[in-house]
Amino acid sequence: MSLGEADLLGLYRVMIRIRVFENAVRRLMREGRMPARFGLYTGQEAVAAGVSAHLGPGDQIGSTHRPLGHLIAKGCDLNRLMAELCGKATGFNGGKAGPYHLFDPSVGVLGANGVVGGSVPMTAGYALADQLRANGLVSVSYFGEGGSNQGGVQETLNLAACWKLPIVFVCENSSPEVQRMLGHEIDYPQLSVDRVSLRAANYGMPGSTHDGWDVLKVYGAAGRAIRRARRGGGPTLLEFRVHQLEGNLEGRIEANEKDRAWCPIELFKAKLAKEDILTSKIDEMIREEEAAAVQRAIDYAMSSPEPELDEVYTDVFARGGR
Amino acid sequence: MKMREITFGEALNEAHMLEMEHDPSIIVFGENVSSSWRAATKGLKERFGRERVRDAPITETAFIGAGVGAAIAGMRPIVELMLVDFGLVAMDQILNQMAKSIYISGGAVRVPMTLRVLTGAGTSSGATHSESLHGLFAHMPGIKVVVPSTPFDAKGLLISCIRDDSPKIFMEHRLLYPFKGHVPEESYTVPLGVANLVREGADVTVVATGLMVHEAVKAADELKPDVGVEVIDPRTLVPLDEEAILDSIRKTGRLVVVDEDYRFCGFSAEVAAIVAEKALGSLEAPVERVATPNVPLPYNPSLERHLLPSKEKVIVAIGRVMG
Repeated sequence: MSLGEADLLGLYRVMIRIRVFENAVRRLMREGRMPARFGLYTGQEAVAAGVSAHLGPGDQIGSTHRPLGHLIAKGCDLNRLMAELCGKATGFNGGKAGPYHLFDPSVGVLGANGVVGGSVPMTAGYALADQLRANGLVSVSYFGEGGSNQGGVQETLNLAACWKLPIVFVCENSSPEVQRMLGHEIDYPQLSVDRVSLRAANYGMPGSTHDGWDVLKVYGAAGRAIRRARRGGGPTLLEFRVHQLEGNLEGRIEANEKDRAWCPIELFKAKLAKEDILTSKIDEMIREEEAAAVQRAIDYAMSSPEPELDEVYTDVFARGGR
Repeated sequence: MKMREITFGEALNEAHMLEMEHDPSIIVFGENVSSSWRAATKGLKERFGRERVRDAPITETAFIGAGVGAAIAGMRPIVELMLVDFGLVAMDQILNQMAKSIYISGGAVRVPMTLRVLTGAGTSSGATHSESLHGLFAHMPGIKVVVPSTPFDAKGLLISCIRDDSPKIFMEHRLLYPFKGHVPEESYTVPLGVANLVREGADVTVVATGLMVHEAVKAADELKPDVGVEVIDPRTLVPLDEEAILDSIRKTGRLVVVDEDYRFCGFSAEVAAIVAEKALGSLEAPVERVATPNVPLPYNPSLERHLLPSKEKVIVAIGRVMG
């Protein structure tokens, strides 16, 4: 499928939105204005943007403990997202979730997840519900190369293939050259294979590996897998190699020289500029608009009330009945 | 209501049949659920089709997690775990994901899932095929813990569970399966959180759950008319009908708790603590607990019997509280 100019700029805008939002979060964490520090998605924006471009609000995703890119690309309201990260009553989950457990069913965000690989079996359940309803919806299950080793993830790959579920597994491999765990080099490898996608064949589904820093490659690969799932062809395991860029960003959008080669925004910007699709004027406008939206989200979150203390006891069980 | 005698297993089967008939969002999966040797799910596949009733690979984490997801997505899954011991390989999906999703979402999602599990000792099955573990699940926030003891309760409680929007673990002692009892043909519910007064008595309160209700009743019948034994079956440990227990203690002044689950930090300890906190002044004797010691359950039948609560042990405990 070829993309028009508006689609290309749309992908670019989503990546900018994620980057600007996360830069603001990083700044708030440094200033001590967030209840906690948590992992960000910087450097991986092309994956969430390229995958979500194929999803509608009825399609579901299961995410990870670095969820902000997935959530923003899927269409979460920035105000309520920022409010949740700040633990406020107006957040999606009234301040009970925070970044690791955030749910926004209105756009199919059925959960960030605090356990590595924890959302993957549940996401198969979303796909099962869609399969039974024959509604043509799909689910996308995100995890990392560390999560790919979890028993539950491997069990779910098998189950999804046995039941031919409409699901796409998206592994973001953030150790594309040197194997790392939690950002640190490790002495023993954690992956027994060079590519996570090699395991797909063992579970009876197609698998392939792509450059996760190239949003158009992500878009193409995700599109094929998602269309396959939608028409009842069953699951696919996609692996996207990514570089987590965390050291460079002091509340700036620009990457430094070292990171520039792997920064999906820099790469896409250069490509779009070369093709005269992205002028500096349009770029500036997109960045200003997204920065303004993120500032509104910060203002909304900061002026929102804390949850009432009595709320701590609610929602242990579902309110009311059927 | 039209009553007839059926077994515990048949009662469970009827609950599935009646509910699935009118609610297409109910789906059933687990290991061997399509096989005719499984009393609770027998015939479901033939009646409702292999889409709604499916055998899952032996991967508890994957299929329990898929149940949680399907529930969040609006289905009403009944997921069967062949034995509660095997649930221990899937604790993340049960205790983190199933139990906590409603809370951490601030009520944005519901988890109308029923995890049916078989439990229980007494069959010389050894340490990983014999446990009760209801105390473990009751300890964690966010799961309703349902422990039926009769065919009537099994059917009514299971229907309540299927219709409830929170996660439930429904614990079926496998030795109860052949037990017969009077059960209405039609649909009915037994509410979650309401204890059953099984036997009335004025002298001592025996709180017992699951298969142990029957040991308590046998003890009560044997001690008649010398000791008036009141037997209370909470039926659900979460939510717990504390008032039914406390009201009885205020009348009898004596408490024996009978529990097949492990003793230490277990359900028997919780009942004793609640009574100590809220009705100590009514107690005329120290509380007695008849529970399984904290020892892995052995294979040898004599050794296993040595650990498990029984009618005889309940009678001894009642003798002690009566002084």
